[in-house]
Amino acid sequence: MDLEKKIIKIIEENLEEELKVTLKTDLRDDLNIDSLSTLMIITALEDEFSITIKDTDFAEIKLVEDIIKLLKEIHPELGEG
Amino acid sequence: MEFKEFYRSLEVDTSLADELNFNPYYLKISSGLTDPIIIEGEEYINLASNNYLGLAFDDRVKKAMVEGITKFGASMCGTPIATGYIDIYKTLEEKFSEFINVEDTIIFPSGYQANCALFPVIAKKDDLIIMDHFAHASLIHGIRSTGCKFRPFLHNNMAHLEKLLKSSNKYSNIFVVTESVFSTEGSIAPFDEIVNLCQKYKAIPVIDDSHGIGVIGKTGRGILEEKNIKDYFGIYTTSLGKALAGAGGVISGKKELIRALRYSCSGLIYSTALPPPVIQGLLKVLEILKEESVQILKKMWKYKKLISKTLKEVGFKLAEGSAPITSIIGGDTKTTVEITKALFKGKILTTPFVPPSVPNNSGKIRIIAGANLKKSSIDQALDFFKTELRKQFIK
Repeated sequence: MDLEKKIIKIIEENLEEELKVTLKTDLRDDLNIDSLSTLMIITALEDEFSITIKDTDFAEIKLVEDIIKLLKEIHPELGEG
Repeated sequence: MEFKEFYRSLEVDTSLADELNFNPYYLKISSGLTDPIIIEGEEYINLASNNYLGLAFDDRVKKAMVEGITKFGASMCGTPIATGYIDIYKTLEEKFSEFINVEDTIIFPSGYQANCALFPVIAKKDDLIIMDHFAHASLIHGIRSTGCKFRPFLHNNMAHLEKLLKSSNKYSNIFVVTESVFSTEGSIAPFDEIVNLCQKYKAIPVIDDSHGIGVIGKTGRGILEEKNIKDYFGIYTTSLGKALAGAGGVISGKKELIRALRYSCSGLIYSTALPPPVIQGLLKVLEILKEESVQILKKMWKYKKLISKTLKEVGFKLAEGSAPITSIIGGDTKTTVEITKALFKGKILTTPFVPPSVPNNSGKIRIIAGANLKKSSIDQALDFFKTELRKQFIK
C-alpha cells in the first residue's frame, strides 16, 4: 500500500463516524476533528511508521495532503520506495 | 503588551447571543431547584439540572444541613489534613465506600478538582494514560498535567482500546480512563469489558462516575453496581454535586491509594475542606437512598422514557444511550442555541452544548428530568414539544 493510501486509512480508522477521506479532505471543516482526534491520528501515525511527530509539527495542517507533505519532510525515508 | 491590548485579547465573542438576543448561560435563578424554578421573576420547568433524584430541595436534606451548621458552623477554615477533618467527614468517607463497595474514599472540594489532582500523584513520566475520546475536561486537564504519554481511544470502542493496549508494553504503568455516563450523549461505558481488558493487559482502570452515582445500577449505587463489578482493583472518582445533591468530589479505591492521596495530593492538602453542612447533607442523602432509591429511580426513568418517546415521535434526532439523559441533536451552534431559545420562551429550561464542549457541528440540547418534577410539569413540556417546537423546527 502506498503512503497516501496508508495515511488515509489511518485517518478513517481514527474517526468517530464513518467518513470518506481523500487527499483534499479538510480535517476541521470536513471531518470536524477536535484536538483529541488529532492526537489519536498523530499517535496512530507514529505507531504505523515507528516515527515521532511533535504536536507543534501538526499545528499548521489543514488538508490530508498536508500530512503527507509533513511526514515526507520530517521523515524523508517515508517518501522513498 | 499594553494593558488595553491584553484585556482586548480576552474579549468573548457574543455575536450569536447578540444576534439571537438570547444568552443561555449564567441565567440568574432566584429559587432553589423547586418545580417550577424562578428565573428573573418567571416560572420555568427545569429540565437542565443534574438533580436526577430531585433531592436538592428535599426537606430532610435541608434539615440535616441546618443541623450541620448548628453543630459545626459555616466552615472549619482549614484543609482536611489540618483542621478541616471533622468526624462527619470521616463518617462520610466510610459510608460512601460502603455505598459503592470499595475499600476507602477521600473527599475533595469538587469533582473537577479530584480528577485534576489525581493524575499527578499516580502517573509518572514513563507511564501511559489511555482515555476515552469523549471523557470530561477535568480528566483531560489532570492527565495533561502529568507530562506522561497520553492516547485517546474512540468513544466506547473496545477494539480500538485493545489495539492500543496491545502495543503499549514499553510503558511502566498503564491507566485506562473513562466516564461511566457520558453527560452530553447519555451513553454508558462498557466498563465491565474495560476492567477485563485492563486485567488482561495489566492496566489500571480509572472511572469517573459523576453522572452515574445515584442514577445507574439497580439501587443507584453507580457504575460498579450497574456492571456487577466486584473486588474493583482500579480507581473511582465522582462528583457529589449531581444526583447526590451536595458539593465536592471523591476518589475511592484501594486503601494504599487513598493513603497516598491523603499525604501527597496537593489538590487535597492545600484546599479548604468542604463546609460541614454539605457533609451532613450528603450523609442524609446516602441514608435516603438506602431506603428509597428504587422508588425514586422508577419515577426518574418514567420521565426520561416519556420525554425521549415524545421527542422521537415529533421527529427530532436524539443522542441517547441508556442513561436518564435525552439530548436533541442541534447540529450547528446557531440551530442548537435557537432550539434552546424556543424552549426557554416556552418556559422550559434546558442546557445547550456547543463547541468546544462538543465537536464542531455536533451541538446538543441536553434534557434531564429530575424525579422531583410534577407529572403536570412533564406533561406541559411534552405538549410544548408536540406543538410549538414541532412547528418551528420540524419541516
